Amino acid sequence: MIRLFTTALFAMMLQTTPGVEASESAAETCLRTKVWDGYADNWGIRTMTSTELEAGKTKNYLVTLYKGNEYRITTCADKSVTNLDVLLYNTEGEVIAKDSTVDREPQLEFKPTETATYYIVLYMRELDGKKTAADAAMAVVYR
Amino acid sequence: MMARPLYVLLWLSTAALAAGCGGAEKADPEPTPTPAEAPAKPATPDDPGLTAADLKSSAEKVALVPSPVETQRALEQAGIETSLATMIPTHDFDMENTDVDHAAIRSGVVLADALLTVKTAEKKDLLIRLSRLQKGLAQLGGGRDIDHTLTDMKDRIKADAVTREELLKEFDDLSGAAIPELNFNDQDQVVPFIQAGSWLEGANLVAKAVKEKKTPAAADTLLKQPAVVDYFRSYVTVQGGKHAPAVVTKKLDESLVALKALAEKTEPFTAEDIESIIKVTDDVLALL
Repeated sequence: MIRLFTTALFAMMLQTTPGVEASESAAETCLRTKVWDGYADNWGIRTMTSTELEAGKTKNYLVTLYKGNEYRITTCADKSVTNLDVLLYNTEGEVIAKDSTVDREPQLEFKPTETATYYIVLYMRELDGKKTAADAAMAVVYR
Repeated sequence: MMARPLYVLLWLSTAALAAGCGGAEKADPEPTPTPAEAPAKPATPDDPGLTAADLKSSAEKVALVPSPVETQRALEQAGIETSLATMIPTHDFDMENTDVDHAAIRSGVVLADALLTVKTAEKKDLLIRLSRLQKGLAQLGGGRDIDHTLTDMKDRIKADAVTREELLKEFDDLSGAAIPELNFNDQDQVVPFIQAGSWLEGANLVAKAVKEKKTPAAADTLLKQPAVVDYFRSYVTVQGGKHAPAVVTKKLDESLVALKALAEKTEPFTAEDIESIIKVTDDVLALL
């Protein structure tokens, strides 16, 4: 698992420490920009994490979402990814929301009608021909 | 993509060699071989085909626990306008207790308080909270990088070189990304216990807020989180098996058992339920 910690830590240090270089992937950089931009619209961070995924594979995360809050699941993948999907499942294993785009930065918005646990699934649909795996980063933000 | 030209080249070379060595004897005509197509990449199906059992067995829990600020927002959505920040008591923490479980839960409480008050706290109070967090994370083996980050944050606060809005982002980052990714000397329970501390502090404050407003049922959407309680308990139980658990860990387990029973109630919370939540969370917080 890629350590997003490095990203977070050094992103903060970079603001004041000349010469310190962050070792973050393109996916993480892209995600951080989106998440921090979201503060202007009152979105706060629940979590940010990243992973390496092979084509056709998924990474699954259990989340608790509060009734009344709006949630956005934001993702970014490296440039070698041509299609990343993000899906939201309930605990019965049913898909309740899914992105409909063919790109590497899909996102979902969801407003739960009850406080409950759900699964967020990152699904690496397609990579370019040379790669077998790529980095993907995911954040859950709320407002 | 590169397989086809190589294959064609090899095939042409072989064909030329065969033609050159054939002599005058006329060979039986053979069907012209067709270069094999490189195998097409199988299309991934629209649906990854996950079952509930697949999801349950494979899901990571890094995003499971809501943040205290997120809980504050949900509280407002539930019609309770109380600011949790105003309800935070003066904690008299035992900062010298270096027991891992104690330090982790305590650090989680401090982190929750820092998050909830980042935009409103006096500078000196914010600095005290950050120093306590820094000390706790050092006791837990958080490492030099996080220590330097917190020192840097404190320096910028002292110098008024950072806005509260920027600090909120950085605190969120600490809570939601940086701390959950720390290794803590391979002590698996540390991150869940930090999260448990933050969650317990949030639950305690929410319960007190709904008690004050005399609306116990409003806490239904905020405190009925059996999966979160199970997640914390799984670490308490494992720890208990490894060595004699700290006093605070035993108390945490008792509290989680009580909170799990309440979280599974199908009826709305009553005033008595809220009193129980306040008591069991206070019991843990008092040991820190």
